[in-house]
Amino acid sequence: MIRVLSTLFSHYRRHPGQLIMLLLGLWVASALWSGIQAINATARDSYARTDALFDTQLDQLERRDGMPFSRAEYHALRQAGLPVSPMLEGDVVTQDGTRLTLIGIEPLTLSSDNTLAQANTSASFSDFLTPPWQTRVAPDTLAVLGVARENASGATPTLADGKVLPPLVLAPALPPDTLVMDIAAAARLLESGDQLTHIVASPGTLTEAPPGLTLTRAATLASPGQLTESFHLNLTALGLLAWVVGLFIVQAALGLALEQRLGMLRTLRVLGVSGRSLVLALSLELLLLGLIGALAGIASGVWLARTLLPDVAATLNSLYGAGVGQELNLPWHYWVGGLAVSLGGLLLAGSGVLWRAARLNMLELGQMQAWRSGYRRQLTLMSIGGALAWSCALALYGWLRFQPPGDGLVAGFGLIAALLLASALWLPPFLALILKVLAHLARRRPLIHWAMADMQLQLPRLSLAMMALLIALATNLGVGSMVGGFRLTFLDWLDQRLVAPLYLNAPTEQYADIDAWLADRPEVFERLLTRRSDATLQAATTPEGSRSLGTPIELYGITPGESLTPHWPLLATQQDRSSAWVAFSDGAIFINEQLATAENLSPGDLLTLNAPGANETLTIAAIYPDYGNPSGQVLMASTQLAARFNAPPSSMGLVLNDDANVDALLAALRERFDLGSDALSDQREIKRIATEIFERTFTITRALNGLTLAVAALALFTSLLAQARSRRQQLAPLWALGVPRTQLAQLNLAQLGGTALVTGLLAIPLGIAITWGLVAVINVAAFGWRLPLYLFPWEMAVTLTTAVGVALLAAALPTLRFWRASPRALLAEEANQ
Amino acid sequence: MSLRRCLRAYLLLSVLLTLYGCGEENQSETNSTGFAGLGQDADGFEHAQPSQTLNFPQEHAAHPDYRIEWWYLTANLEDADGEPLGLQWTLFRQALMPPSERPEPTPWAADQLWMAHMAISQSEQHQVAERFGRSHSQDPLNTPQDSQAGVISSPFHAWLDDWQLKANEEANSGDFSHLTLTAYSGEDESRFGYTLELTAEGPLVLHGKEGFSQKAANGQGSMYYSQPFWQINGEVTINGETKTVSGRGWLDREWSSQLLDARQSGWDWFSIHLDDGHKLMAFQLRGGGNGSGDSAGTEHNADYRSGTWITPQGDATPLATDDITLTPLATSAVAGRDLPTQWRLEIPSVEIDLNIEAPHANRWMTTSVPYWEGEVVVNDRASGEPLGEGYLEMTGY
Repeated sequence: MIRVLSTLFSHYRRHPGQLIMLLLGLWVASALWSGIQAINATARDSYARTDALFDTQLDQLERRDGMPFSRAEYHALRQAGLPVSPMLEGDVVTQDGTRLTLIGIEPLTLSSDNTLAQANTSASFSDFLTPPWQTRVAPDTLAVLGVARENASGATPTLADGKVLPPLVLAPALPPDTLVMDIAAAARLLESGDQLTHIVASPGTLTEAPPGLTLTRAATLASPGQLTESFHLNLTALGLLAWVVGLFIVQAALGLALEQRLGMLRTLRVLGVSGRSLVLALSLELLLLGLIGALAGIASGVWLARTLLPDVAATLNSLYGAGVGQELNLPWHYWVGGLAVSLGGLLLAGSGVLWRAARLNMLELGQMQAWRSGYRRQLTLMSIGGALAWSCALALYGWLRFQPPGDGLVAGFGLIAALLLASALWLPPFLALILKVLAHLARRRPLIHWAMADMQLQLPRLSLAMMALLIALATNLGVGSMVGGFRLTFLDWLDQRLVAPLYLNAPTEQYADIDAWLADRPEVFERLLTRRSDATLQAATTPEGSRSLGTPIELYGITPGESLTPHWPLLATQQDRSSAWVAFSDGAIFINEQLATAENLSPGDLLTLNAPGANETLTIAAIYPDYGNPSGQVLMASTQLAARFNAPPSSMGLVLNDDANVDALLAALRERFDLGSDALSDQREIKRIATEIFERTFTITRALNGLTLAVAALALFTSLLAQARSRRQQLAPLWALGVPRTQLAQLNLAQLGGTALVTGLLAIPLGIAITWGLVAVINVAAFGWRLPLYLFPWEMAVTLTTAVGVALLAAALPTLRFWRASPRALLAEEANQ
Repeated sequence: MSLRRCLRAYLLLSVLLTLYGCGEENQSETNSTGFAGLGQDADGFEHAQPSQTLNFPQEHAAHPDYRIEWWYLTANLEDADGEPLGLQWTLFRQALMPPSERPEPTPWAADQLWMAHMAISQSEQHQVAERFGRSHSQDPLNTPQDSQAGVISSPFHAWLDDWQLKANEEANSGDFSHLTLTAYSGEDESRFGYTLELTAEGPLVLHGKEGFSQKAANGQGSMYYSQPFWQINGEVTINGETKTVSGRGWLDREWSSQLLDARQSGWDWFSIHLDDGHKLMAFQLRGGGNGSGDSAGTEHNADYRSGTWITPQGDATPLATDDITLTPLATSAVAGRDLPTQWRLEIPSVEIDLNIEAPHANRWMTTSVPYWEGEVVVNDRASGEPLGEGYLEMTGY
């Protein structure tokens, strides 16, 4: 057995390049898996941080006279039994001039489920409370503090004014540019004395404001909510697809390595090695290589992630507990997943070869024609299998169409898997068909005819690589479009929801007065008052008739003005956008996509809405996308909502003229209406930070998607290179017959380049189908609304060019060798035939 | 009581200090480290000494140069229907660092961590709440508004937020005999708490040697005195329902920098009101006693026991390890562990042999460091005749 094994391995001693390629394939496939894990972790982190940014999660008390609180007042509130906590907030400037927000918290009284109180650090609590105290900071804030990631823990950076921060502790959950520390340490840095900036409480724990104080309820400015969940789901899909790509690449690499040793296997059998020992030896070899490749891949995947993206390590840290940064202390499912990629691929690739090795015909030596007829049978099987997968995909799609939205997630994933499988299976028969047609067309041009016949002969060896290429390209395109599309959607969503640069948050009863007051201010360009109310959707009248429903829905009032209407996306209208907005101002309603899908409504239908003291039947003028909202919503003009349903105001957006003085306006507002200091919030800043956080995730996603493409290219390159050696054998006779070398070289390049081009072209519609499956099937199945389908032609062109480029490069190397070969060597090849 | 409390308090505080923010699963682990921590080196702190003299009313205030301290009240009450009701209110203090390492008293800087517990128990109901606070011992302390938590000796006022024990309106300055206790937690229907008037019907009792209570055979201990003669009247709110209550209470005051021997693992502590007017305090620290060389050599022989026998006039007789025999008779499964909820307590020198039983085993305190604290009924061992009532605390199980 040992001798058989060593004989098998001796092949690699003579061809170390093949061993390297094989291990490379295994290595990169599992590295890809690691990378996807890392990006999922980063994405999760991004959501949490964005949510923290959008949702302050705390009710806030302020003095009516606008003066700061003192410690004694805080103590008095505690002693009156109010569950409040003090907070200090201020700015500090780093040595490079960046302004950071410093927040001082009192952890003994701050509800421990608050983001600020959650450190995600393992540091001890008394270290936080006692000198020298601690500074909690997110890893991406380290750069402006001038601290390297490796030395971050315990570092004490100096600020621009010469003050020294308490030792740093990494807390990945914090928003960027934010420092959190104990209130005593913050008071020293901010020199705030006995004053404090906020008195806060967990939402809902205070029933009313104590005398002399105003209570500002925790405001959810706009939470991405389900939008981020959707992105996460899509990333999970990306992880699964990357896994499938990895499997194919491993299979391609191994299949070729074993294919090339068929001759040696036959020799071993002829020498008396039993079929069983041969299979056993091969299995051992597969297992060994698989383990090496997988472990190396997982380890380097983490290394890669950490090198390229320093935040990822910290994120893994916070998700999986301490130690990832230093040693690979990842959860078991991470390793299992990585091993499953490699070993699964080995099993797939290996089983075919093992099966062939077991029933190896010792006498069947070099019978190309016989093999070809065997391949024909295989093509037929592939066509049938492909057809089955297609019908499976169609059946799933048909079934999904009749499912209520929010159901059928598994079927959605099944649909995409069936699509991929069907396309991969149909690729070799399709290529064979094209070759046959081309060969027929070129029957009067012998050289091209030969080239086609030669390709048909090469196809069995090439088909696995091409299938891998097809899947990798399609997945790459699909994921690229999905991520890119998601990014655009997110930005649109931010624009839609945060349309006004400034938002005013005031007690409900004051809005009417404030609105009237603002109407006379010259610097105010537009006031966007929103209103909210709940109602019951009593009945719907569609062309098919009238239905009674009784669904609870949300009424939302917006002010259709110059600032808002251009940014508010509409999915379907009765006639066109402008007439829809005109109808809207006159009392027609818009409904969100969730409601339209759930109740099967279209523009032009009538809805009867019922609220206490009001019953109105209104026309649907348009349907709008409402990403991230789990429930049905009816949109109408704020004035209409107030008149018909008596809905209270909920917030006011302010669009100011370009030269407006924001501070002066705020001061005037506060003086006139007794508002808190943060009654006006600057949404541009929130938008900028939210975008920044998400852009980071998008960048990482794109980087890993690029890696997928690189892996696919590498797999294609290695498999083509592996079989290039035999090319000289086939080209030599043609040269001997008088075909010039230039022409032969061109022919060789055209053969592979053409195949790759056809595969790449096929990958484009498949990639679009996958994107569509992700945004329009899986997302609808999961959440009841679809993401818009965006296509990026430039990315497609790059992907296609890469595929063809790699194929040409792989063909060029043997071609070059053929070009340089001496006539004697070529004649020797001929003699070998 | 004192030592069990101190153990538990130390435990609670040290757990809080080291593991705040960690998941629940860490707590059991924390427990053991907490108990071990009670016996750790206490350099830099003041230490309780047998020679110390207690001066009142100053001693009612905090002793920030010592590591730990508490104001600990338990009460055995009855509502208007005669249904028994138990309650507990405790204020714990722990120094965050030895006096020499204190930070400057800048605003918000803290050298003392405070924790308060309250519990109300009636039949199967047991409601528990917990609060935390901070203070600096060098901050001026003239009114409660000067600090989130603190204790002023005269007129007496101990508070953490709105949980307060203080001299009532009629009391003269320095009077410790007329106190008001208020503490409430929760909102609306889940609101619970109490407003009680406490009247002392006897003198303060100093435990051990003039207030120095030894806690291990090697001589370490704490300063410990009690007011066991409270007559209590007031109102208790539980499940949003307010009841008029009355009964007896016991207040413990204890401070120390090192209470336990490193080998001691936990304690069982009893405070008992006998119907004939006698009061009895008895505790055992499991491990750390003098018995390692005994012929029996069992673990029980290594326990350290102590107590005080108090006459209705307030005359105190200290009890040593050999005076007290404590035997667990039956255990109950509580919060995933077995706790002895029935005991035999023998003190031959005063001719008592008691059967002490917790009528309700579910008195588990689900605080940041969990422990058992609940009402007990006391019967004569031989005749079964009811003799009194009291409180039992058990830690380290």
